[in-house]
Amino acid sequence: MTTLVAAERELAAPQAPPAGRRKGSGMNRKPRFAIAVTVAFFVLLYLPIFAVVLFSFNTKKSLTVFEGWSLRWYQAFFNDAELTESLQTSLVVAAAAMVGSVVIGVLLAFGLVRARSRLGGAANVIMLIPLITPEIVTGVASLMLFKGVGLQPSLTTLMLAQTTFSISYVTVILRARVAELNPEVEQAAMDLGATRFQALRLVTLPVMWPAIMSAAILIFTIVFDDFVLAFFTSGVDPQPLSVRIYSAIRFGIQPSINAVGTLMLVGSLVLIAIALLIPRLFGRRGNSFDLFGG
Amino acid sequence: MITETAVAERITVIDPAGATSACAVSLRRVTKSYGERTAVRELNLDIASGEFFSLLGPSGCGKTTTLRMVGGFVDPSYGEVSLHGKDVTDLPPNRRDVNTVFQSYALFDHLSVWENVAFGLRRRRVGKTEMTRRVGEMLELVQLTGRDKDKPSALSGGQRQRVALARALVNRPSVLLLDEPLAALDLKLRKAMQVELKRIQREVGITFVFVTHDQDEALTMSDRIAVMSEGKVHQCGTPEDIYERPATRFVAEFIGTANLMSGSYTGTGIELPGGVPLYTGRLDGCSIGDEVAIAVRPEKMWLSDLTPEMVQTDGILKATVYGGATTTYLFEIAPGVEVSVLEQNLHSARTEERWADGERVRIGWHAKHSLAPLT
Repeated sequence: MTTLVAAERELAAPQAPPAGRRKGSGMNRKPRFAIAVTVAFFVLLYLPIFAVVLFSFNTKKSLTVFEGWSLRWYQAFFNDAELTESLQTSLVVAAAAMVGSVVIGVLLAFGLVRARSRLGGAANVIMLIPLITPEIVTGVASLMLFKGVGLQPSLTTLMLAQTTFSISYVTVILRARVAELNPEVEQAAMDLGATRFQALRLVTLPVMWPAIMSAAILIFTIVFDDFVLAFFTSGVDPQPLSVRIYSAIRFGIQPSINAVGTLMLVGSLVLIAIALLIPRLFGRRGNSFDLFGG
Repeated sequence: MITETAVAERITVIDPAGATSACAVSLRRVTKSYGERTAVRELNLDIASGEFFSLLGPSGCGKTTTLRMVGGFVDPSYGEVSLHGKDVTDLPPNRRDVNTVFQSYALFDHLSVWENVAFGLRRRRVGKTEMTRRVGEMLELVQLTGRDKDKPSALSGGQRQRVALARALVNRPSVLLLDEPLAALDLKLRKAMQVELKRIQREVGITFVFVTHDQDEALTMSDRIAVMSEGKVHQCGTPEDIYERPATRFVAEFIGTANLMSGSYTGTGIELPGGVPLYTGRLDGCSIGDEVAIAVRPEKMWLSDLTPEMVQTDGILKATVYGGATTTYLFEIAPGVEVSVLEQNLHSARTEERWADGERVRIGWHAKHSLAPLT
């Protein structure tokens, strides 16, 4: 009893000053070197991004001297027909790849988990290969395939390639969630008079929604940002935004590119935030990081 | 020697319920194989309407597979499943007039308690007023009134169990299947729910088919029990039949404790290991020289007030185990043959240990309490 009270008192008491404050106490010194490395890491990581964001608001064309705040380059971007058309293209391709890969990926995830086939294990490994293959290899291979079957690089080939390689992501993310499902829950629905399809619609999908939405948003951001695969599989017109920016930069960096970059960054951050928040909004147990199937 | 299959068949033939056609559930030669492994073998069972029927056996004995075949979740490899005389072998679960309480409860976590219970009624397109009334009644029956808006995750284990029960019962099925519904509850709650389940069954009058590996649960709740092992029914009868007159050695050993004594039959008794004679009297159906086994329940053995007509033998006391209401004594009556004797502690204070370990004590029991001969 007394020890319990003592323990409680200890917990309630304000934290004693950290031992590291005392000089020369050996192991307990602050890890100054580790902190310095960490700070340097974050500076190097975020400084270029910060520069892009900052100079997108510059009043002058300079990319080295910041002279004042303006929205001039955003205006320039929205007045640039080529860039806005590319933005539109990227959005359309990302949306198409998202819908296509989620529909196919969900079906695949269910199939791989539920079918008691020996091929299931092999298929699981095959699913991972697109994720670890260097994207440049994927890009070149896709280009060769399209040429081989006589398809000229165009919006169609771009959508096909992006959808195909997104399926793996969706399947890998959702397979874990499907495997987690209690098969008795679907059986219970059927036991209570639901058909197989009703059981899926009324019981399984509501539980799967957060994971499906997370996967969809993830695919959207990946495809929207993608450069390598887009570079190899898109035609001259229409060109996705990432490829357009790359082309534009070869003729000198325009500050309007900074504006585009900033917009893309903000858009991606918002989508990722939504993807992370969805599981919590749906009130699923735990606060797991749901993007990768938790 | 009677083989186990033969025993199972004999039981089915003499089963009184088998004669009537009003059986709620009837299984004929039902068999389920998974590749090489046979989970259920040539099973015949008749469960009467309104009965509380238990399938009892160790894990892997085929009891859950049997239940799932009645529910429609497992297709039999062979045989016929009928409900109230109607062959349902090929019907999917949603077209059978049975409901199931699953071992995991399988509640719909995204729906409220009320919506969980109403799920089956919605599928049957029951009208709004009737649905509200029936769900309300059912929540009252399982004592969950006032929790109807909660999500299952906000409930305790016992409450979740009762939601699962209400969700199944609200549809008024002709048969309710329960797959170890109390297994996940702690002992005290389990005891309370046993009483509760029995009360609810009596109130609604629905046939319950209850799967359990817990013999106490089966004995205290059931009208009849089928004891299963390795895909076969060893014995089917009332709890008293099963306990007092076990048909096979497996049943005698699985239900309660049985002191098994085996040796060759001498005409007047059994010669135990080490040549120790046990005068059991004549055993029906045995001829001299047969290897036979008899079993006696620990509580049927006496250590005092022995009478001359009892079967008697001497035992060396090995251990005394005090258990509150009872004391268990462990004796060796022949080399390697141990028996335990259960005595009620009729005196308030714990008596000084009556005998020291190693002491020789006379043990006796009435011949009618020898469960014999067992195969």
